[in-house]
Amino acid sequence: MKNSDVNLSRRNLVAKAGLGAAAAVATATLPKPAKAEATDRTVQYAMVIDTRRCVGCHACSVACKAEFDVPLGETRSWVEYIEKGEYPNVSRQFLPRLCNQCSDPPCVRVCPTGATYKRKEDGIVVVDADICIGCKYCMQACPYDARFINPRTGTADKCDFCLHRVSQGIAPACVNTCQGRARIFGDMNDPDSEVAKLIATEPVTVLRQEMGTKPNVYYIAADHTDDGDARFQHQYLRVDTHRRAKERR
Amino acid sequence: MLNRRNFLKIGAATPIVVGGVALSNAKQLSVYSGKDFSPATGLERIAIPSACWQCVTRCPNISYVEDGRLVKIEGQPASIRTHGVMCAKGQGGVNQYTDPDRVLYPMRRIGKRGEGKWKRVSWDEALSEITGRLKKLRDDGTPEKFMFHYGRMKASHSKLIKSAFLGTYGTGTIGNHTSICEGAKWVAQELTWGGHYDNWDFDNTNYVLNFGSNVFEAGTNHIPTSHRLIARMADKRIRVVTFDVRLSNTAAKSDEWVPIIPGTDRAVVLAMCNVIMSEGLYKGEGEAFLEFCKVTPGASATLEEKVTALKAHLKDYTPEWAETVSGVPAAKTAEIARDFATVKPACVISYRGAVANHHGADTERAIQMLAAITGNVDNPGGRCKAVGPKWKYPKGPKNKPKSRKLKILDGLPGAAKLPNHHVSHQVLQMIKDGSAGRPDVYMWYCYTPVYANGQVQENIDILKDETLVPFSVCVNPFYDESAALADIILPDTPYTERWTWEDMVSPAQIPEYYIRQPVVKPLGECRDFADVCIEMADRMGFPLGIKSHEEFVKQSCEMTPDVKKAGGFEYMKANGVYHDPEAKPRYFSYRKALPPEKYLAETVVKDPATGVYWDWKKAKLASAQEALEKGYVATKKSYKAYVGQEINGVVYSGFKPDKVNKSGYFEIYSEIMEAKDLPAMPSWTPIPEYEAKKPDDLILTTYKVAEQIHSRSANCKFLSEIFHDNPAWINPKTAKEKGIDEGDSIKVNSSFGEIVIKARVTPVVVPGTIAIAHHCGHWEYGRYASGEVAPKAAGSPGGDERDSARIWWNGERGVHPNWIIGNVADPISGQLRWMDTVVSVTKA
Repeated sequence: MKNSDVNLSRRNLVAKAGLGAAAAVATATLPKPAKAEATDRTVQYAMVIDTRRCVGCHACSVACKAEFDVPLGETRSWVEYIEKGEYPNVSRQFLPRLCNQCSDPPCVRVCPTGATYKRKEDGIVVVDADICIGCKYCMQACPYDARFINPRTGTADKCDFCLHRVSQGIAPACVNTCQGRARIFGDMNDPDSEVAKLIATEPVTVLRQEMGTKPNVYYIAADHTDDGDARFQHQYLRVDTHRRAKERR
Repeated sequence: MLNRRNFLKIGAATPIVVGGVALSNAKQLSVYSGKDFSPATGLERIAIPSACWQCVTRCPNISYVEDGRLVKIEGQPASIRTHGVMCAKGQGGVNQYTDPDRVLYPMRRIGKRGEGKWKRVSWDEALSEITGRLKKLRDDGTPEKFMFHYGRMKASHSKLIKSAFLGTYGTGTIGNHTSICEGAKWVAQELTWGGHYDNWDFDNTNYVLNFGSNVFEAGTNHIPTSHRLIARMADKRIRVVTFDVRLSNTAAKSDEWVPIIPGTDRAVVLAMCNVIMSEGLYKGEGEAFLEFCKVTPGASATLEEKVTALKAHLKDYTPEWAETVSGVPAAKTAEIARDFATVKPACVISYRGAVANHHGADTERAIQMLAAITGNVDNPGGRCKAVGPKWKYPKGPKNKPKSRKLKILDGLPGAAKLPNHHVSHQVLQMIKDGSAGRPDVYMWYCYTPVYANGQVQENIDILKDETLVPFSVCVNPFYDESAALADIILPDTPYTERWTWEDMVSPAQIPEYYIRQPVVKPLGECRDFADVCIEMADRMGFPLGIKSHEEFVKQSCEMTPDVKKAGGFEYMKANGVYHDPEAKPRYFSYRKALPPEKYLAETVVKDPATGVYWDWKKAKLASAQEALEKGYVATKKSYKAYVGQEINGVVYSGFKPDKVNKSGYFEIYSEIMEAKDLPAMPSWTPIPEYEAKKPDDLILTTYKVAEQIHSRSANCKFLSEIFHDNPAWINPKTAKEKGIDEGDSIKVNSSFGEIVIKARVTPVVVPGTIAIAHHCGHWEYGRYASGEVAPKAAGSPGGDERDSARIWWNGERGVHPNWIIGNVADPISGQLRWMDTVVSVTKA
């Protein structure tokens, strides 16, 4: 299946479903700065998480829960703790997690209905709940365990960078609440944006780069240790996901 | 949830805004907009500026309402305290409102006390019974037999309920909860620099030395201080060193974690002072500050005498000695002492980890000494005297009776020598003891005497016993472990449905005024208890002259000059928060030289013994002559008459006393301590229980986490989903000695009881200790906290029940450590000793 086809059909569906002017407005809802500014640059929203500024407080996790009224047991956004070392030389690192809004998203590739697609306007990967059949292929495909079936709708759900806020010109809820200002959000295709500058100047990393998913969530000074490393290092390691799924992916 | 309908709604609802966004660039996204939108409909949510009440920090917030329901809370961008950010607990406040286990109607028990059988009664019925009893006590001339015990009651709630209502009623049997919180810090600060609350000026500091504060997870002024600290660390790369018995998140973020045996921080602080004095590192700022310090007996001393006295006192407290007590390597103590004394300005911070133990108040005094001899007191970047707003407010009836009180507030005989803020955790024991009398009516508000104190079983037994507690009333929005033992429950509103003017201190050293206003209508028949007090006063025939709490807040806004200037009540309702944009941060308050007309006034005399100028009339004495004869120190509550302190011929504002008759010096040497047979200078005093400890005993220490407040948030589903279990941390070395493996059930025994808890074998805790978090092991407080659904009075509408079947942490709810922690007190301050319980630990 070709991604572009999926996206086109997505837009067609929206247009058909719409009623005259309302439908036109609906499509205008979605930010299209490229068009508005008469440049050919497209927007790719990205987040840089500077873990040096993260204190592991979980305000982001809870803000997200409240913003979307996320049912218990499911998480769009969470914070993992990575604890390691031998007494007294020990450390605890914090790794905030969310959907990576990949530029080559495996979830989109496997979606049989086109419900999941990457928005051309801003690069956010979204799920159309009206089309999703809840087959869970995308959950299997995601190497980051970012997706779940929302028990209230029976359809796939995940972080969408707070599209409903971003489309109104305000930053995602997790960015808003973060006491350390560890989360920086913006258009990485805009060379003047803070995210673009950080990506250009800091030694950023992404999660599971080897998967070739091209994540758009970047980390500064993240600890990527996982259970696999512990086996080789013969040292204490504990990863707490702080979610129902105790195993980290 | 995103779908086609949402796309349409988002567009149709706000076409103009949408058009604007279409033109905007991503870089213009506003992080602190004070706006929120519904993900379901795209409609803008209604934003109401209000304030949090999850923890004592009480941050200003913006609460968002959708379809008449509170759905989201964010920080208040206009706040100079928080700069618009918020913690997990504040975010989780939305769950307080929708908790399906809220108490929505007055309830009266119909079974035996504690049996869990209730009937719904009307407010009229409940208040008729309560005020009938209260009025009789008052009419009989025994108002003190009405005991009111509060946990969190601040600002306008305190003024209305405590000053106006209880003051006019006439009872002084008013309990608080400071002794289970930070009483040791308050008492120590009163002994050294006067009023309590230390602010840590992280905005300007270049070094932070931390003894037992978990500033990144909890604490009295959590977000206002913590977000400043992480910013300073990230932006300026300042060094932070944390002494703690376990790797808290604060220790984990620090440049260095120095593990220390619980309760021994004072030894290290004294050794640091020793290094600083003996190596001359006090010279410069520390030496200059010594002019304002009292280090010797009497009214004055030369710098040389002070230096000599400090050196002599500290001589034996060497780092090598401290190592034998605390386990901290001597070289490490010396190295950190040198750093702390050399980097300017530097801030030493402290909290319960350092002070909730035997002689914990003396640890705080030692820390004050360390700040003093390095010149880091009330200076930019140092340990500052806190600054808060000064509200004016209606005082209620002018003629208040002289209050009467039962002497059950300050603990068992001999429990504490300076219980300036009471020994609240021993109130129930005092009621059981009975020798100082017992209240006929015991009412508690925003407090859980059963769960929050030590010796839980005894608390339950006493509260259940109708011969000890004849009649009890719980004022609470929720059905917690203590509500379950009440005779009547009055449904209070959660903070999301009430008025308050607020006054928490500001780490910007500039006062911030803010209010809390109802975000939604009270559910069921919940009422703000302040309004209930107004009605009870009416019913008993002593009207307070205040119509409602809202009216009280309104009048206060119009009476307070700064707020009035800003636009009064209407301004505060629209904006929530105000500070004077022209105000300058307040430092060095003690250095102000008083104008002669202040200290040469007719009613002011100088006390030769202390150098204090004081107003004999304010001290309720007849003449200057009487004042001179009695003396400042010996006159009851003379601190209230303090005017200034003479130091080397100049009369300064000095360190104004509070609660005790100290001088206006920063008192490192305390004659008040000395008079109580306590160390005049901060000193090491061995911990009796440690001396008697068997070699394989461990020390139990407790802690708080970032996702819960102590005992009032486990009903918040989003918080308990993250933190609901508290396995006991035990170091691998200690675990191995005891044959304990990860996940094993272990028995933890103290002289107060036994708990069985899971072990977490982890190197992030000091060998020889066991660390158990608070917050867990609830057996009431609703389904999210305990799995127990609160009893519903007939006809109660349910809250949000959609997640009831999705609680996935049943069976992982942890164990409450307070079953085995004694209601014992620091012999100085009365602080509950959370950190130094000796226990034996075995595999279950």
